[in-house]
Amino acid sequence: MANNERMSHIRNFSIIAHIDHGKSTLADRLLEATQTVAQRDMEAQLLDNMDLERERGITIKARAVKLDYEAPDGEHYTLNLIDTPGHVDFNYEVSRSLNACEGALLVVDASQGIEAQTLANAYLAIDADLEIVPVINKIDLPSADIEKCRAEIEDVIGIPAEGCPAVSAKVGLNIPDVLEAVIRDVPAPEGDEDAPLKALVFDSYYDSYLGVVVMVRLRDGSVRAGDRMMMMSTGAQFDIVDVGTLEPFGLKKCDVLRAGEVGYITASIKSVGDTQVGDTVTLATNPATEALPGFRPAQSMVYAGIYPADGARYGDLRDALEKLQLNDAALLFEPETSIALGFGFRCGFLGLLHMEIIEERLEREFNLDLITTAPSVIYKIEKRDGTVTMIDNPSNYPDAAEIAQAFEPVVRASIITPTDFVGNLMDLCQDRRGVFIDMKYLDQTRVELHYDLPLGEIVYDFFDALKSRSRGYASLDYEMKGYEPSKLVKLDFLLNGEQVDALSFIVHEDKAYGRARKIAEKLKDNIPRQLFEVPIQAAIGAKIIARETVKAMRKDVLAKCYGGDITRKKKLLEKQKEGKKKMRQLGSVQISPEAFMAVLKLDDEEK
Amino acid sequence: MMKKNKATAGLYLHIPFCLQKCLYCDFCSFAGQDGDTHARYVERLCREIVDRAVSVGQLTFDTVYFGGGTPTLLSPDLLGRVLDTARTHLCILPDAEVTVECNPATADAAKLSLLREAGVNRLSIGLQSADDGELRALGRAHTAKAAIETVRAARQAGFGNLSLDVMLGIPHQTRDSLDRTLDTLLSLSPEHISAYSLILEEGTPFYDARDTLPLPDEDTVVALTEQAFATLAGAGYARYEISNFARAGFESRHNLHYWRMDDYLGVGIAAHSLIGRERLQNRPDLAAYLDGEDITEREELLSDEVARDEYVMLGLRLVEGIDKREFRERFGLEFDALYPAIKGYARMGLMLDTPDRAAFTDKGFAVSNAVLAEMLFN
Repeated sequence: MANNERMSHIRNFSIIAHIDHGKSTLADRLLEATQTVAQRDMEAQLLDNMDLERERGITIKARAVKLDYEAPDGEHYTLNLIDTPGHVDFNYEVSRSLNACEGALLVVDASQGIEAQTLANAYLAIDADLEIVPVINKIDLPSADIEKCRAEIEDVIGIPAEGCPAVSAKVGLNIPDVLEAVIRDVPAPEGDEDAPLKALVFDSYYDSYLGVVVMVRLRDGSVRAGDRMMMMSTGAQFDIVDVGTLEPFGLKKCDVLRAGEVGYITASIKSVGDTQVGDTVTLATNPATEALPGFRPAQSMVYAGIYPADGARYGDLRDALEKLQLNDAALLFEPETSIALGFGFRCGFLGLLHMEIIEERLEREFNLDLITTAPSVIYKIEKRDGTVTMIDNPSNYPDAAEIAQAFEPVVRASIITPTDFVGNLMDLCQDRRGVFIDMKYLDQTRVELHYDLPLGEIVYDFFDALKSRSRGYASLDYEMKGYEPSKLVKLDFLLNGEQVDALSFIVHEDKAYGRARKIAEKLKDNIPRQLFEVPIQAAIGAKIIARETVKAMRKDVLAKCYGGDITRKKKLLEKQKEGKKKMRQLGSVQISPEAFMAVLKLDDEEK
Repeated sequence: MMKKNKATAGLYLHIPFCLQKCLYCDFCSFAGQDGDTHARYVERLCREIVDRAVSVGQLTFDTVYFGGGTPTLLSPDLLGRVLDTARTHLCILPDAEVTVECNPATADAAKLSLLREAGVNRLSIGLQSADDGELRALGRAHTAKAAIETVRAARQAGFGNLSLDVMLGIPHQTRDSLDRTLDTLLSLSPEHISAYSLILEEGTPFYDARDTLPLPDEDTVVALTEQAFATLAGAGYARYEISNFARAGFESRHNLHYWRMDDYLGVGIAAHSLIGRERLQNRPDLAAYLDGEDITEREELLSDEVARDEYVMLGLRLVEGIDKREFRERFGLEFDALYPAIKGYARMGLMLDTPDRAAFTDKGFAVSNAVLAEMLFN
């Protein structure tokens, strides 16, 4: 009974919300209200502690924090708030974080009401069997309509909202109501403290002193320093150095973590790859018979070449990728060479956002200027000689004559959208070679669309296009369906008659002409005039399908050179030379890294 | 062929005063200084000539050039004093080319006669354009008519060697307006013409307004340039440098010193000197200069390699280009071995390359910066 008594004073919950509905601000207020963080130490949006997250207003990796709460009746509770990422690239991480909880606060903006992402997140939480506690936020806004918002929550999601907290996280109004609702409505955890250890890994990060800090939610059993832990997916074993709880400003050692609790384990583990999210930690001495369900190793969906803009910084780029990988099991990389770009790495990512985040972190945290090639998925090629090969780099795409059948990965996508945007989104899916499966009305105003879509189309900014065509309301989820036959071609680009490998990509036959023309035009606009005329050609095999020309430079001359100030004239030339040094030599043509990126960047017309 | 200035040097005297600053000008000059400042400046200029005479005692000067600024803002008396001081303390050949830059509306026939008497034998006059709208757009302090009158006055005063400047790529300039400017220019029959395109230099009002200036685009400037060069060639002016044209024997001897990397002494604020391998500069600090401070600083001591590259950078400005034998005599190395890239540019039609000589073609001149930036200072 002591076990149950202990657990009855624990609540594990997360906060889910549509972007901008105030999730992080509410989290800050909860920390404040429980005096977990003194007001003077508050930094806006404490949980999102990466710069990038603060700027983008999204949570990239899960985070957790323990709150000590004294209820008005004098009882002491431990509340573990587990934050979740909010992007489809990280859907798997979200599902694991939710699995570590018994309940979720569903934050709804009182002036906006329920939005698609609210709904999608609510379904994720319902799938994870969580108790959902609605919280109506932003009631300080003049346009707030609390009653309408309550009615919507009941009608659309089908959960009671009578008496749910109505708060303003921004001004700190009614925050204690939220804590009371957590105690009242979120179930206490259940589990058997005496059973073999089963702890769900919901996040981990690398610390240069401690090694990997593994964040876990214990289902059964207990764990303490000195125990020998074992990862159930790999059998890897480590001696535990410390266990403890996750405090707002860091880790706090404790003697033991027990069933129902949330905390961390350190064991001098060298890489987060050893403790992947979703895996189960048990003890080597008394292992659990089966792992917690739902584990899936990190899977790269998108590949791209990343090169240092300055070739001399190849070593720095490698070091930076190694450092990031310590903390990101989903990041893969291996060296590759491009004739055009020199030495770099082929990198694998969960999705496009993940790729952008890695790029930005490399640039910001490691001060690297990068050139990134067009993202690609993995294609499967059956050759005429009977062999099968997987292609993650267009440069390795076999000659058309060798290919018996090409396959591309296809996903089953589920899109939830207000009915107003159904037409737009069906057009979008059609444009992206989607195959319509079905359409279901969730209620009078909301529709769920199912499409089979090539993953290669999804990675081309599909998520952004979806958002822009639904004014941000539609949400997307997808799961791999497998490889399907497809008419693929490799599109090559030639500058001055020489093929530039870094510009090649694999594309569906039907889209090749449009893309070829577009990129040829962009090359024309971005390649500076050279001393000679530069023909640009797009080709499939030996067949030229689009062409443009960059005219030769006509004028670049220092008209006046008098007065004897030769040093300055020389400096002008040297400056011009410096500019040229940054240029990449693509065959006989020079192009700046910025221009190269501009060519590869997708713009609105292509979305 | 032009005369060689072997073992002779140029003397440059900077006069940093103007009626008003032109909107494109980044030379060191100040508007609105009074006659008293002019006199004090000239006094300092004479002092500097005396001070530096010893260090350049080995040099024989065959050119003197008063640049600015607007040297003709000074009274002929003051300019004459400077020239006399230079003649007294430096070794200046009797037949030296003595040029004064002259802006229209700053000199009448009487003043120019006095300059002539003081020993000035060449004037460089800033016509720029024969279109008053274009002159206003440039912020020039004169009309086309005033320029024409100044040229006539110079002829009256006995000047037989006049250079006129015209500018290409002026805001609002068209083929027609350029035609009128060239007609006016040729009607004045100067011995020498500088025809250069407007350059937006940092720190000028034009540079700051570069995004809104109605400048002709690259292709138009190229067309205007070709039009001007063809007209000048047709009228008997041979191009001898990127932007300079002359009747036979009237090439600017002073400017040739710069392009051939001969020695030159620059006196006055913001003036530069090359003495042997040492580049010197005078700080552009009028107040310090007037206070009697020594403003001369070493800018650079040229290594063999840099000296060679500068020689090529400057020499290739000339139509005659680099004389490979002279190069060998000067540097003790073979030009062809040091600059093999020339062959490639020759194949592209940008350069001429013979066993004796390397030079830009007309096509090459137009893009010479891009070529030099590739070829030099590696």
